[in-house]
Amino acid sequence: MIARIWTIAFGILAASATVGARAEEDYLSNSLRVGAYYVTYDTQADDIRGPFVPAGANLRVEDVITPYFAYVRRLNNHFSVELAMGAPPLTKTEGKGPAKLGSVPFNGQVITTARWLAPTLLLTYSFFDESARFRPYIGAGINYTRFYSRQSTAAGNAVGGGPTSVDLPASVGPAATIGLSYRLTRHFSLYGSLSASEVDSRLTATTAGVKRTTHISFGPRTAVLAAGYSF
Amino acid sequence: MGLAGCGSDSGTATMGTSTDRGTLVYDPPFRIASLNAADFGSQLGATAAGQSLLLVAGAPACGVDFYHLEYNTVGGAGEKTTASGALLVPTGAAPACSGPRPIVLYAHGTQTDKTANLADITNTNNTEGALIAAVFAAHGYIVVAPNYAGYDTSSLPYHPFLNGDQQSKDMIDALAAARTALPNTSSAATADSGKLFVSGYSQGGYVAMATHKALQAAGVTVTASAPMSGPYALEAFGDAIFFGNVNIGSTVFADMVATSYQRSYGNLYTSPGDVFEPAYASTAEALLPSATPVATLFATGKLPQTALFSSTTPVTGNGTLDAALAVPANPVFALGFGSSNLITNAYRVSYALDVLQNPDGVVPASPAATPQHPLRQDLKTNDLRSWIPHSPLLLCGGGQDPTVFFNVNTLTMQAFWSALPPGLVTVLDVNGTINPASPFAPLQAGFQTTLAALLASGGQQAVVQNYHVTVAPFCTVAARGFFGQF
Repeated sequence: MIARIWTIAFGILAASATVGARAEEDYLSNSLRVGAYYVTYDTQADDIRGPFVPAGANLRVEDVITPYFAYVRRLNNHFSVELAMGAPPLTKTEGKGPAKLGSVPFNGQVITTARWLAPTLLLTYSFFDESARFRPYIGAGINYTRFYSRQSTAAGNAVGGGPTSVDLPASVGPAATIGLSYRLTRHFSLYGSLSASEVDSRLTATTAGVKRTTHISFGPRTAVLAAGYSF
Repeated sequence: MGLAGCGSDSGTATMGTSTDRGTLVYDPPFRIASLNAADFGSQLGATAAGQSLLLVAGAPACGVDFYHLEYNTVGGAGEKTTASGALLVPTGAAPACSGPRPIVLYAHGTQTDKTANLADITNTNNTEGALIAAVFAAHGYIVVAPNYAGYDTSSLPYHPFLNGDQQSKDMIDALAAARTALPNTSSAATADSGKLFVSGYSQGGYVAMATHKALQAAGVTVTASAPMSGPYALEAFGDAIFFGNVNIGSTVFADMVATSYQRSYGNLYTSPGDVFEPAYASTAEALLPSATPVATLFATGKLPQTALFSSTTPVTGNGTLDAALAVPANPVFALGFGSSNLITNAYRVSYALDVLQNPDGVVPASPAATPQHPLRQDLKTNDLRSWIPHSPLLLCGGGQDPTVFFNVNTLTMQAFWSALPPGLVTVLDVNGTINPASPFAPLQAGFQTTLAALLASGGQQAVVQNYHVTVAPFCTVAARGFFGQF
């Protein structure tokens, strides 16, 4: 049954791909996309290590939604290069583990915040002919994530033992995407995609010379809905 | 919006650049833990030792914030160094837990663990930190308690043990640092009321009295002090030990005193072999305090557990002296003699001969006027029969203490100050006769009941080994009651 549905679907798409085929020079080479970026984090962190830290103290990251922007350069009928990023979201890191450290609430408390500048460069391959309205695509590339405006919150300072600085070095890692485009007009299209990238860093919290660290793999998983304008 | 490639965008404590005495290394200091009264009570109640402490100290009335102070001070030879300590701040809505509160400046007892940190309430081995938190901070006193130079994060490579000048400076510098830090902490709802109490136990009893003396000399008013079970009359105490009245813990104390005074004054020996037997001479100077448990040092032969002196009596040609230096009949003192002893017979004899030639008057006289032996000179330098208090003291201890002799120290100071106005010096022997009219009667009864239980469960050996530490909570609560009068 599933195979039959796929057969029908690809038949429709293939049929649509043949409609309105045009010469190579008719295609628009540049595209800008704007949309919404939903980011959920599959956070994997070691337990926090350092002086006076009880066993089992860990971290998790709250999901965010942020505006999405991308620039796409067409290379040929199937290949494009995409530079995508979200407006740097304010990402909140929560304590995960004991309900309290001493008498200070920990589990579920937002203890640090940071903004991410995370451009991703992808080489994408789109299926079917460019004349097709629906075009699935896949892509792979590299993500660079730079953290800034790193702050320990009041709750974080209470947990940390005083005013705390947060160090979170930049990360470079692979990224991959799978998506679908739908051409509305010659210039306008809609896009939906799912992406994953590897963002690893080492979080160091320093309070009055006392350092606590953990290796943290943020594991962002993103869903994008966007509109694009080609020119 | 600027981007920072690395480092941090939020602030942390300021790291001080001054190395002047009493300045903070980090301001505000690091808070290790914050416990409300209920949680602190629960934490204490989770262990047998904590339950015993709660019975004596009472349930916490206040929460406690535990800060780790780091500050600048000096070493035994006046060299600049850093030290650390505890700032314990009472918290909570009750009037007795915030607002202006008195300060207890507290000096801890001898500690062999170089990593010891009184502020670390997360460490179950930190029994003295728990004691002062439960007795003082959880009942509304701000506590300032140095870990001492040479411990924890201190940069000093040795500890100036029983160096009254250095240790009182360490205490005073910790106090100055704490007063600077307190308004900048998250516990700033609690403030210094201006009342200053000084206390300490064992080594810290000595340090507390030396600090009271130093503060008074500096024109700083001490509201009252409560030195407890301290070796105040150091020269007399040293003489008693060298003449065979060897105390429990003597090998640890001897190693630490020798290291301290040699580093501080440079007059104790030309080489450690002048004092220590060859088996220990090469390592004695850097042995204590140590990150290695003292039980391991004993087990691996780095330090004899009890044998301070040789069981082979030295022959001096003076029959009376030889008899005085023989292994004593008292079985507790006899524990201080053995074949793997720490101190050479030659050193012991040289000390004893100076005692004969320059005797300590004990009471009422001060220490020997001109002792010739270097160790006796250093002990005299640090002997506290050298001052007259202007504000009240409570001298608390246990009359049968085999570690710091009550009669040689506490009763000697009481006699030395016997001409002072009544009420200025109060002496409490928790092992003494109970006067039902005394406010300390319940504590005396509690101690004596505990001691009886210890004897019943572990025999005389358990009593000897644990007497000194068993006195501590009862005297500390007595100190709290004493301070409450002011």
